[in-house]
Amino acid sequence: MENCVLEVKNLSVILDSEVILKDISFAVKKGEALAIIGPNGAGKTVLFRALAGLLPHKGEIHWADKMKIGYAPQKFLVDKSIPITVKEFFSLKSKNFWLLPKDFAEHLSHELELVGLDKGILNKPIAEISGGQMQRVLIAWAMLDHPDILLFDEPTAGIDVGFEETIYHLLRKLQKERGTTVLLISHELNIVYKYADSVLCLNKKMICHGSPAEVLNPQELAGLYGEGGFYKHLN
Amino acid sequence: MELFNNQSFLVALFIGLASGSIGAFIILRRMALVGDALSHVALPGIALALSYQIDPFWGVLVFLLAAAFLIWWLEGRSRLSTEAIVGLLFTASLAVGVLTIPDHEIIESLFGEFPLLPATTLFMVLGSASLMAVLSFVLARKLLFVTVSPEVAKVSGVGRKYDLVLFLIFSVVVALGIKLVGTLLMGALTIIPASIAKNVSRSMSGYIINASIIGAFVAVVGVVLSRSIHIIPGPTIILFGAGLFLVSLIFARR
Repeated sequence: MENCVLEVKNLSVILDSEVILKDISFAVKKGEALAIIGPNGAGKTVLFRALAGLLPHKGEIHWADKMKIGYAPQKFLVDKSIPITVKEFFSLKSKNFWLLPKDFAEHLSHELELVGLDKGILNKPIAEISGGQMQRVLIAWAMLDHPDILLFDEPTAGIDVGFEETIYHLLRKLQKERGTTVLLISHELNIVYKYADSVLCLNKKMICHGSPAEVLNPQELAGLYGEGGFYKHLN
Repeated sequence: MELFNNQSFLVALFIGLASGSIGAFIILRRMALVGDALSHVALPGIALALSYQIDPFWGVLVFLLAAAFLIWWLEGRSRLSTEAIVGLLFTASLAVGVLTIPDHEIIESLFGEFPLLPATTLFMVLGSASLMAVLSFVLARKLLFVTVSPEVAKVSGVGRKYDLVLFLIFSVVVALGIKLVGTLLMGALTIIPASIAKNVSRSMSGYIINASIIGAFVAVVGVVLSRSIHIIPGPTIILFGAGLFLVSLIFARR
């Protein structure tokens, strides 16, 4: 298909002879924001890991040529005992770990501003920043080298409510200015409704795929989450 | 000659430096015990080299590199606990080594001593140790990346092969250090400096640099102490390091 950056056909993932995902097919256009929703254990993160080439799978995953993929997993730094400053964490993406190139440092402070972080945070050890700050650091980290596609696993988990909107505004801006394609897993249905171009509902198999207006209605959501599900949150 | 009188200090300085710098990454990978067990594989290597009358160093090096490759392969392959396999395999090789090495060589192999090395060997040891230290610094970013998040590193093009690179550098350092502190204690010489550094460092660059300096310091002071109280250097170095670790606990972050 033209303009498609990602095409998935009949994707199945089986781990330990348990079917985690079955027959998933969808396509993503350049610059599109696709939200993936579904109950816990629906296989959302597994889908991302398969897309990133980290899991064995059946079926086809076809990325457009020369796509730079940015992947921000839900759990990144597990080990808080690693002595590493925020700046050093960013330098993992720099060519020179020991002496940061000047343009890299400048670019870094710009990205930090975008996610609402002060430069002063750079010299703090990662173990000493708050969960919300960490989440912002991860978002800036994923965006830093301007990927063509961002895979975001719950970008606002652990972030204060007021800031959620800012993050989604930011993702929107990235899409417009840089043409970034964004795939994100989210639980915030009201935000998905406002910001996503399309929605994929997942519960081991694909339940629905379409624009938020088509998909986020009480019937579909009841089918996805069970009766008394999430649709109450919608306006 | 002056150089030969100071040989033990030079060897301690360079091997301590290399042990500290690569040990920093071994500790971050939480592979301290695997590293320790790995050093036991050296014994059958020593036995084999002795029976063919070649320098034990080469036997040790071949066995360690092969073992490093095996660990790496096992890690990627199975869900069996790597630690269990490694522990079993390598302590078994310790048993094989003890049975096959002639009695008078055993203590030396286990705990090290300072033979006078010919100049070429000495320079080879010092050169290789410096090279390993330099490699640890140059590859720091990639070695860190696979440690901090193997999955994201893979997506960003830094794959598991850097795990192998880490194990191989580590093996060379252990092989070099066996003459200094012996097989049983070489694992400890890589672990102790990094553990002390972790207690007193707040940044990654500080941690890696501190680990290297502490490694060199512990090894050299250990040799000085062992000279002045006339005991073998291996245990002296390790005990001095362990003492320093206890002191560093005072500064540890909670």
